Amino acid sequence: MNWWRTLSRQETTNSRVVAVLALTILTLLVTIFLPPVADSELAGGAAIAIVILGLSWLTGWSGQISLGNSGFMAVGAYAAGIWAHHHASTPLIFTLVLALVAGGLSGLVIAIPSTRLRGPYLAGMTLAFSAAVTPLAQNFTSVTGGEGGIFLNSLVTPKWFEHLFHGANASINANAQWTADLAVVVAGVMFFFMANLFHSRAGRSMRLVRDNDVAAELMGVHLARTRTMAFVVSAAFAGVGGALYSLLEASVRPETFPLTLSITLLTLMVLGGIGTLSGAVIGGIIFSFSANLVAHVNSLTGVNPTSNLGANMQGIIFGVLLIVTMIFAPRGIVSLSSPLRRLWRARRPLSVTQEVQ
Amino acid sequence: MGDTDTRAVTLAFDHVSVRFGGLLALNDVTFNVLEHQIVGLIGPNGAGKTTAFNVACGFQKPTSGTISFPKLGRGRLRPPQLAGAGVARTLQGVGLFSHMSVLENVMAGAQSRPGGGTWRAIAGLPSGVRQERLLRAEALEHLERLGIAPFAAALPSGIPYGVAKKVSIARALMERPSLLMLDEPASGLDESELEVFTHLIIELRESMSVLLVEHNMDFVMQLVDHLVVLNFGQVIAQGSPKDISTNPDVLAAYLGIDE
Ligand SMILES: Nc1ncnc2c1ncn2[C@@H]1O[C@H](COP(=O)(O)OP(=O)(O)O)[C@@H](O)[C@H]1O
Ligand SMILES: [Mg+2]
Repeated sequence: MNWWRTLSRQETTNSRVVAVLALTILTLLVTIFLPPVADSELAGGAAIAIVILGLSWLTGWSGQISLGNSGFMAVGAYAAGIWAHHHASTPLIFTLVLALVAGGLSGLVIAIPSTRLRGPYLAGMTLAFSAAVTPLAQNFTSVTGGEGGIFLNSLVTPKWFEHLFHGANASINANAQWTADLAVVVAGVMFFFMANLFHSRAGRSMRLVRDNDVAAELMGVHLARTRTMAFVVSAAFAGVGGALYSLLEASVRPETFPLTLSITLLTLMVLGGIGTLSGAVIGGIIFSFSANLVAHVNSLTGVNPTSNLGANMQGIIFGVLLIVTMIFAPRGIVSLSSPLRRLWRARRPLSVTQEVQ
Repeated sequence: MGDTDTRAVTLAFDHVSVRFGGLLALNDVTFNVLEHQIVGLIGPNGAGKTTAFNVACGFQKPTSGTISFPKLGRGRLRPPQLAGAGVARTLQGVGLFSHMSVLENVMAGAQSRPGGGTWRAIAGLPSGVRQERLLRAEALEHLERLGIAPFAAALPSGIPYGVAKKVSIARALMERPSLLMLDEPASGLDESELEVFTHLIIELRESMSVLLVEHNMDFVMQLVDHLVVLNFGQVIAQGSPKDISTNPDVLAAYLGIDE
C-alpha cells in the first residue's frame, strides 16, 4: 500500500457530517446558557452566516462577485413572509423551502444576463438589482405592506421545550432559546448541504471555470451553465437566510435589506475568509456581536448614536476591522487557524511511513 | 497515403480553411486520423498547427470546409460536447488548474461523464460519496501508470515541468478518449522523459487514436504512423515518416529551415 492511496479516502462525507454536526450541537448547548438577548443575537448571526456562505460559494468557488445578495435575501424574506402572513399554520420547513426556491429563481433571473458580463459590469448588474428591491417593496403596498412591511406571528415555543429548559414560568427565555435553536439547526442543515456541494462534481466545475475557463471547457464544462448555477445556489442560500432572519424578527420590512447590507455581507465574508465554511461561521459570529460592538464604541467615544457619525458607526468599525484583517491575515480570520492545523497535520507522515512498511 | 487502409476514420479534415482577416491560417487542409493511428502534425512556427487543433475542438469555426468525427456524427460540435464524446486535448504549455491539487486536476477529466449526481452529492447520500471516491481511485490509477502518483497532493506550481506535462495527459486520459490530441507534448522534456513519453503514447495507441503537434523531429519520426506537414497553412506533404524525411519539398520548406 503506497501512502498516496490514502488520498482516495480523504474528505469523506462522514467527516463533514461530524464537523457540521459537532458545531451545531455545540452552538445549541451554548444557547442554553446565554441570556435571551444574546440568544436572539446569535439567531440573527446564524441566519446571516447562511447568506455569507452562499456569497462565499459564489465568490470563492466560482470567482464571481455579487452586490445583489441583500436583494436575494429580500426576495426570500418576502416570499416567506407573504406566504406565512396568509397561511399562519404552515410548518417552518415549508416556508423556508419556499424562500429557497424564490431566492434561487431570482438568482436565475439575474444570472442569465450576468453570465455575459465579467468583473465590474457583473458587480454593477447585481448592484442595480439590490438597489431596485427596496423601492419595489415600498411601492407594491398591497402585497408587501409598503414601508411598514409585513408582520408575522412570532415563532411559538413548544411546551416540551419550555418544560425541558425553563420550567413553566420562564416562557420569554424559552422563546429566545427556541428561536435561536431553530436558527442554528437551519444553519447546520444549510452548512451541511454546502459542505457536500463544495466536494461534489458541481463544486469542482466551479473551480475549474474560475481557474482556467479554456481548459474547463475542454473538460466538458459548460461555462455559462456553471456560472448561472453558482448564482442560483448563492441566491437560494440568501433567500433562506433572509427568510429566517425575518421570521426571527417576526416581520418583513424594506429597511432590513438596504443596499449597504450587500456590502456588509461582502465585508463579513472577507473578514472570515472567502470560500470556506468556517469563514462564514466567523462572519456570522462577527455579525451577531456587531450591534453590541457599535453600542460600546459609541458610548466609549461619547458619540451620539442618532448623530450622523453614530448612525454610520457600524460601517466605520467594519472598515477598520477589514483593514486590520487585510494586514495581519489577508486570507481572512480563518487563515489564522492554519498554524494549528499544520500541527494537527504533522501527525500524518507518521501513519504514512507505517503504511509504506 | 493510406488509401488502402481499411481502418475506420476517427477525425476527418475535409478541405478546411480558416481565415483571420487577410491571413489564411489554414488553406484547404485535408487529412484523416484513423483508428489506432498516431498522426503527427508538423510545420514551422505560425504554420497553423494550433489553429488546426482549435477547429477540430470547436474553439474556432472553419471559414470553409468541414471537420467530422464519423463515429460521433457530423455537424459542428462545441468543446463541451466533444469532451463527452471522447475527444480529449491537452493545451500548448500545460494548462493545469493552478489552485487544485494534481489529483483533482486529473479528476477534472471526468467532469463530462454523464450522471453528475449533484443532488445526491448535496444531500450527502452514500451513492454520491462512493461515486466521488471511485473517481479519486481512478485518477490515482492514471497517476500511478504515469509514475507520478507521489505528486498527487501537490499543487501544479510545486511540481517539475515534465511532471506537469504528464498530469495534463493523465487528465486527458480520464476523459476516456477515443481521440487524444496533444499540443507539443515533448516541449521542455529531457531525453529520458522523452523516451518514457514515446513508450506511453505507443501504448495508448492500443485503445485510441492520437493526433499530436510537435517541434521535436526526432521524437516525432520514431513515434508517428502518419505525418502531415503544414507550411503557411497548407499541407505540403503527408505520408509515412520515412517518405516525409526524403521528400524534397519538406526538406526545402521545413527541415532545412529548422536545422
Ligand atoms: N485568433 C487569431 N487571430 C488572428 N490570427 C491568428 C489567430 N490565431 C492564430 N493566428 C495566426 O495564424 C497563424 C497560425 O497560427 P498557429 O495556428 O498558432 O500556428 P502554429 O501553432 O503552427 O505555430 C499565425 O500567423 C498566427 O499569427
Ligand atoms: Mg502552436
